[in-house]
Amino acid sequence: MKNVLVYAEHRRGETRKVTFELASEAGKIAAALGGKAHAVVVGPGSAQLAEQLKNYPLDTIFVNEDADVEAFLLDPIVDYLEAAARIAGPSLILIPNTLSGRDVAGRLMVRLDAGMVADVVEVKPDSGAVVCVSPKLGGALITQCALRTADYGVVTVRPNAFAVESGGAGAHVEQIAMPGPKSYPAAIDRDVEEGAGELALEEAPVVVAGGRGLGGPEPFETLLKPLARALGGAVGASRAAADAGWVPYNLQIGQTGKTVTPALYIAVGISGAIQHKVGMRASGTIVAINKDAASPIGEFSDLLVVGDAFRIVPELTKLIETAKGNLS
Amino acid sequence: MKIVVTIKLVPNPNAEKRIDPQTKRLVRTGVETVLNPYDEYALEAALQLKERAGGDATVTIFSMAPDSLKEGLRRALAMGADDAVVLSDEALEGSDVSATAFAMAAALKTLKFDLLVVGGLTDDSSTGAVPGALAEHLGLPCITNARKVEIKGDAIEVERETDSGYQMVHGPLPALLTTALTFGEPRYASLKGIMGAKKKSIASISLQDLSLDHPVGTSGSKTELRSFAPPPVRGKGQVVEASDGLSGAQAIFDFLAVKRLV
Repeated sequence: MKNVLVYAEHRRGETRKVTFELASEAGKIAAALGGKAHAVVVGPGSAQLAEQLKNYPLDTIFVNEDADVEAFLLDPIVDYLEAAARIAGPSLILIPNTLSGRDVAGRLMVRLDAGMVADVVEVKPDSGAVVCVSPKLGGALITQCALRTADYGVVTVRPNAFAVESGGAGAHVEQIAMPGPKSYPAAIDRDVEEGAGELALEEAPVVVAGGRGLGGPEPFETLLKPLARALGGAVGASRAAADAGWVPYNLQIGQTGKTVTPALYIAVGISGAIQHKVGMRASGTIVAINKDAASPIGEFSDLLVVGDAFRIVPELTKLIETAKGNLS
Repeated sequence: MKIVVTIKLVPNPNAEKRIDPQTKRLVRTGVETVLNPYDEYALEAALQLKERAGGDATVTIFSMAPDSLKEGLRRALAMGADDAVVLSDEALEGSDVSATAFAMAAALKTLKFDLLVVGGLTDDSSTGAVPGALAEHLGLPCITNARKVEIKGDAIEVERETDSGYQMVHGPLPALLTTALTFGEPRYASLKGIMGAKKKSIASISLQDLSLDHPVGTSGSKTELRSFAPPPVRGKGQVVEASDGLSGAQAIFDFLAVKRLV
């Protein structure tokens, strides 16, 4: 594999930061391998996203506005990615580690008889191989897995793992032919967006998470949301809070929930059981607020403040807002 | 209706994992083997669909596991599955995700089913690639992350969660389905279920029963595990006792300011 291919996941041309992270890193990996970096953007809105991607170190951006991409469940996307991969030859395909990214990756692995590494946080080209660094067993192990350059390689990449660095020679946008004739068995009848405009938890630079210690759903709105807003971050929760129905499951961090790696993680009223730890242990800085000095979260927090979260959090929000006000 | 659910046996996710610094291997002592948590949700969904279908609907467990671990599937049988089929073969050891999906698919081809329910992720390796890979090998529609399912004759209607909301999807049977956690909490096995599970069949098949045109195990794998190590140790940090709200807030603010996080 010499070339690198990025799957640009989007919705009507709107994408998430991870797409730009992948595009930035693809250019670097391709340069190290002596090949080229390309992106595949398909479905309505592709042209709009392709324009944005021109600012990244890519060579060709394959596009097709094919409406079938919205009408059928992932099948057309897999077909287009396969077609682009065949054009590029044995290549490394970077796919975001998202719900649909994982589905796409598994299918593409079979189509291309590719090697596959999941949840990758670092890619290191090595002679005859591409070594992928990835945490396993809930982060208890950091593995280094080699893909052979003779094969196709499919990797799912953890959001927040790579830096966004624009700059490129002006990629050219190329229409990719509609693969066909194919039949798509799973049809999408309705696609409903909820919580639009909210920062995706996995990509947030700051996560303020609440647990059992908050005692109910209201403090997530009245305490955590204002603090997250002041810090430019997102609100998350422990499993206890999600199981109690205080927040939807898509905010749950940890085993059977999401894995996040923000620069700053603030755990409020979370004891820090292993099943929560596995979802946030790789965060940059961890601050915990807990009334119990002996709670396990203290064992892996950079700062544990023992006290009443209901009093501390509003004061902290005020301090941050004041500091921000002084700067602007 | 015949439903097959895939189940992986994994080290207990709630146990702290340690790597022996000498052998560099996972310390298994004291870590029990359990059903992969996502697969328990898949099984719960399958059992609900079986109950709704009534009649002669069945749920069969399929697992790829060493023979020594297969009794771990009794728990799934106690929850209400009818029987289990285990693919066991020493030659499967060292299989990566592509070899694993290939071998699983070959074995699943020998089972007749209308619906294949797969957990969305495994707790240990968590590639999340197996459902898509199985669908591809078996030529099945791949409908993932379902929170509501209706079987209508030979068609399936699904409400599935997406990263930003939900979708209504339909497709033909047979199909592959993965379930969202919101489908329903896995049930506890009843005493009657536990007693009944002792009499249920756990059939074993080996690679000899499948005519594979492709190697599996380490030689059939496309990836090579070069090394593994525990993550950098995250030491215990500072602890501050806050007598009131403001002093606690100030302690955090000052800490973050030093790190240029505010």
